[in-house]
Amino acid sequence: MIVISPFSRALSNGKMNPKNFPYWKELIAMIDEPIVQIGIDGEEQLVDDFRKNLSIDELKKLLKECRIWIGCDSFFQHLAWSEGKPGIVIWSVSDPLIFGHPENINLLKDRSYLAANQFLWWESTEFDADRFVTAEQVFQAIP
Amino acid sequence: MSKVLCSVATRGRYHTTLPLVLQAIINQTKPVDKLVIFDDNDEPKDVRSDLAYGYFFQMLDIKGIPWEWVFAEKKGQHYIHQMANYMGYEWVWRVDDDAIPEPNVLANLYKHTNEFIGAVGGSILTPPIMNTQSSTGQIDNINSEPNIQWGLIDRKRKVDHLHCSFLYRAGVHDYNLDLSRVAHREETLFTYGLRQKGYDVLVVPDAVTWHFKNPNGGIRSETNQQLYEHDEQIFMNHMQFKDHTIVVLNCGLGDHIVFSKVLPKIKNPLVFTCYTDIVPGRSIAEAQNLFGNIDQWNIYKKMDLWGWKQSLEKAFEKMYL
Repeated sequence: MIVISPFSRALSNGKMNPKNFPYWKELIAMIDEPIVQIGIDGEEQLVDDFRKNLSIDELKKLLKECRIWIGCDSFFQHLAWSEGKPGIVIWSVSDPLIFGHPENINLLKDRSYLAANQFLWWESTEFDADRFVTAEQVFQAIP
Repeated sequence: MSKVLCSVATRGRYHTTLPLVLQAIINQTKPVDKLVIFDDNDEPKDVRSDLAYGYFFQMLDIKGIPWEWVFAEKKGQHYIHQMANYMGYEWVWRVDDDAIPEPNVLANLYKHTNEFIGAVGGSILTPPIMNTQSSTGQIDNINSEPNIQWGLIDRKRKVDHLHCSFLYRAGVHDYNLDLSRVAHREETLFTYGLRQKGYDVLVVPDAVTWHFKNPNGGIRSETNQQLYEHDEQIFMNHMQFKDHTIVVLNCGLGDHIVFSKVLPKIKNPLVFTCYTDIVPGRSIAEAQNLFGNIDQWNIYKKMDLWGWKQSLEKAFEKMYL
């Protein structure tokens, strides 16, 4: 079973979070094993098994049960790191050398796409799908 | 050799003590690597056409000392010192605009610096000179003894805090920006903060600065007693928890998770937190009540200030270890 954590937190200005991978549907279509999506109320449902608003303990349990997880730069990658469970993180504008963990497979298209200032609110950074690797590249990275 | 920035914050003393201070800085036996004057006057002036200032600026140019005159934000000298703190120099010699250093002061402060030193101060004398031989310079005695720097210092001694003008290691501890415009206790909080970070704070002999206490200008321009009381309360709150490392996690869930790996390494932590299920502690509201502005613990502002390139975990370590 694969756990996906597709979305980083919603922005206060209502715009799309520039850290959110835009090709989840294409990626999910390539994966031939059970997928559990985690998230919160208001997020788009991408698979049948969407578990919302889980507690930290429930998320830790799910991490133990899954074969691998895939996510973006959100709290979940830190929780998985804390639990010693490596996974795949899809990056775009935030810097994996600062906010990532080398134990994970960190997929960054190119460092030239990183935001110039890593420490501002992400509301000030525009979403740009060109900043992400492709669904195929993520699929190829799954062990 | 490490670079030394000389920082002067001035207010209301264009034509009294500030010219004396600038002349004394220009005449140091160890030249500063840069002089920056932060003009915090309510009605700032362009002094380049003033006879004395015009010559001072020419003397600086002739001596090859870069200088800069910055019109400050009128928020108080703690904001100014914080700017100087992060101007990229290893050491900052802060000189008050009514404190006139003898020519050997910087040389004699600087010669005591090494990797273990956070700050070095000398005597800050206002006639008649006090006898402070029995003063300890310990923070616990701050309200019960005269400041050790108010008298002649006969030997190098470790202290907890410094006063007025001194040389300090830049970029390792922040000024408390929650203090009011009068910035009462700002140098005590700052130098004791360096001490808490493990650096030695020294008073040394043969470094005399004459403090021409001026009833006008500087923080004495402010007469609102409530500002002093506000600052004193912040100081008292810090002293109440001085044996702890204060941790304020006003940040995201993921940041708390990363911080949780650093927490066991922190000496006697007192934690204020947003997510008690990740990092147990007291509330952020309580931290705000105790310390006012909690930006000094904002890890993102710190990383921005530091031009940070390493991991978030290492940033937390830099802040708290």
